[in-house]
Amino acid sequence: MKHSAKKRILVVEDERHIAEGLELNLSLKGYDVTIAPDGVAGLQKWKEWQPDLIVLDIMLPGMDGLSVLQNIRLEDDRIPILILSAKSDTEDKVKGLSCGVDDYITKPFDLDEFLLRVERLLTRASWARAEGYLSKAVLSSQPRTYAFGDNRIDFETSTAYCKCGEIRLTDQEVKLLRLFIARRGKPLARDEILQIGWGYTGEMTTRTVDNFIVRFRKYFEDNPKKPAFFKSIRSIGYLFDH
Amino acid sequence: METIIDRTKWFFHPVLVFIFSILALALSLILYIHWYVEVSTGFREVVTIHNLDPGQFLESETWVVILVLSILVGMILVGILIIFIYSQKIQQLYRMQYNFINNFTHELKTPVTSLKLYLETFMKYELNRRDQIKYLGYMVQDVERLSENINRILNLAKIESKSYGGELVESNLVAAVERFIKDHSRLLKNCEINVHNPSGLNFPYHVNESLFDMLLMNLLINALKYNESEKPKIDITFELLKSKLHIRFADNGIGIEKREIKKIFKKFYQTGRVDDMTAQGSGLGLHLVRSVARLHHGKVVAQSKGKGRGSEFTLTFPYKTWAWIGL
Repeated sequence: MKHSAKKRILVVEDERHIAEGLELNLSLKGYDVTIAPDGVAGLQKWKEWQPDLIVLDIMLPGMDGLSVLQNIRLEDDRIPILILSAKSDTEDKVKGLSCGVDDYITKPFDLDEFLLRVERLLTRASWARAEGYLSKAVLSSQPRTYAFGDNRIDFETSTAYCKCGEIRLTDQEVKLLRLFIARRGKPLARDEILQIGWGYTGEMTTRTVDNFIVRFRKYFEDNPKKPAFFKSIRSIGYLFDH
Repeated sequence: METIIDRTKWFFHPVLVFIFSILALALSLILYIHWYVEVSTGFREVVTIHNLDPGQFLESETWVVILVLSILVGMILVGILIIFIYSQKIQQLYRMQYNFINNFTHELKTPVTSLKLYLETFMKYELNRRDQIKYLGYMVQDVERLSENINRILNLAKIESKSYGGELVESNLVAAVERFIKDHSRLLKNCEINVHNPSGLNFPYHVNESLFDMLLMNLLINALKYNESEKPKIDITFELLKSKLHIRFADNGIGIEKREIKKIFKKFYQTGRVDDMTAQGSGLGLHLVRSVARLHHGKVVAQSKGKGRGSEFTLTFPYKTWAWIGL
């Protein structure tokens, strides 16, 4: 349960003027507001502060908004997220929606429209919470279990059943597996895996990703030297083929 | 742009078209020669049958024809190559322009969004005077940002159409730089700027003052914008070397990567990539700097010890001291 009745809204926006204007208006409407000036700070605030809604910009310095969105969606499929972006092409909107955003507003936006949409998103989220039967797992579009080859992963207990028996998966392993499953059949670049899976940006070593792949292959592949599921794509990254 | 290319059939790809046309041309050359040789052998037979003098019109002509054919085909090949390179260049420019428009729209939309947001807030609520002043200040800054962007576009258009140039006036460069810093102290307030002029000369020079100010503005704003240190610092040094005036702008900012150092002056060039949205800036600032420097018969080069280790922009103008101090 939240400490106060005030709903919390996290604003991830690098333009100070817009961020402060949003904060001003949302506070006047009675919300509790925090600003994060970039993607990495946004993720950190999301974890620490546990907001009820996130207003997200796409063009952010360092880690962009879509990566932030995907990172959050790997762990929490329920929190309402609203994208507020200057990018107004249908293509961009589709990209955002396919990553799991709840609403998309283009800049420059209408203040009343924005506030009403925020209110509506929060109302719907509170219904979902009130009708307790919608447990996190049911509501989540992420599968509870996933089977490929002779392997089965149970996400609720973080356990993998594979050729070498039962394995307890770490949180990071679960997160990466979710990412690979969500993007199965599509190549994932190393930097992308790092950004979405870890929330890192910039000079992080991509060896970290390779190490995880080595481990996954050991768990799930019949022949780790000739992987059937976790395939390498030269000079790009990896592909989960299932 | 990208999507248009993706959607067109692979056999329309310019590289393939280019390769196919070269192959077709080479093949046709071989066939021309082959047929020509065949025909002339037939002709030779006719000549021998009728007992004519073969040396008169056979030997030399064969080789001349082959030579002329080869030269013509070679010329066509070169032509195709030039058209190919040209079309690639245009495509690249088109892509850069597309990126630029994308980003510039963002640059314009941001202040407009902010302005609209605050205006609507003011219409909706009665804020207290202190808040009003604060947000009105934001709005003024947004308007300044907007007009700065619009000016940049207009100036670029003017410089490119070469309608500038005749408006050069004699001006003291050291004083101009110092005045500029003083005039824009509000904008540069978080930054330590030192002007060094060891020679003590004034360096009068024919400049277009508004353009020179724009050049300074772009260089100084860049030094500030791409700076992550706690106390941004810019050192401006005037130096006379081999009858050339060097004005160095050294900062302690994020620096420039080696592979970018030449590209940053290109029109529409932005560091970072557009597809992952890390592209920054309008892609015009440094291009303007270079254009303005050239307009003043000078040039500009960038140097950097690498990422995170500051960058240095040097303006160089031809300068004959004796002409200015009247020797």
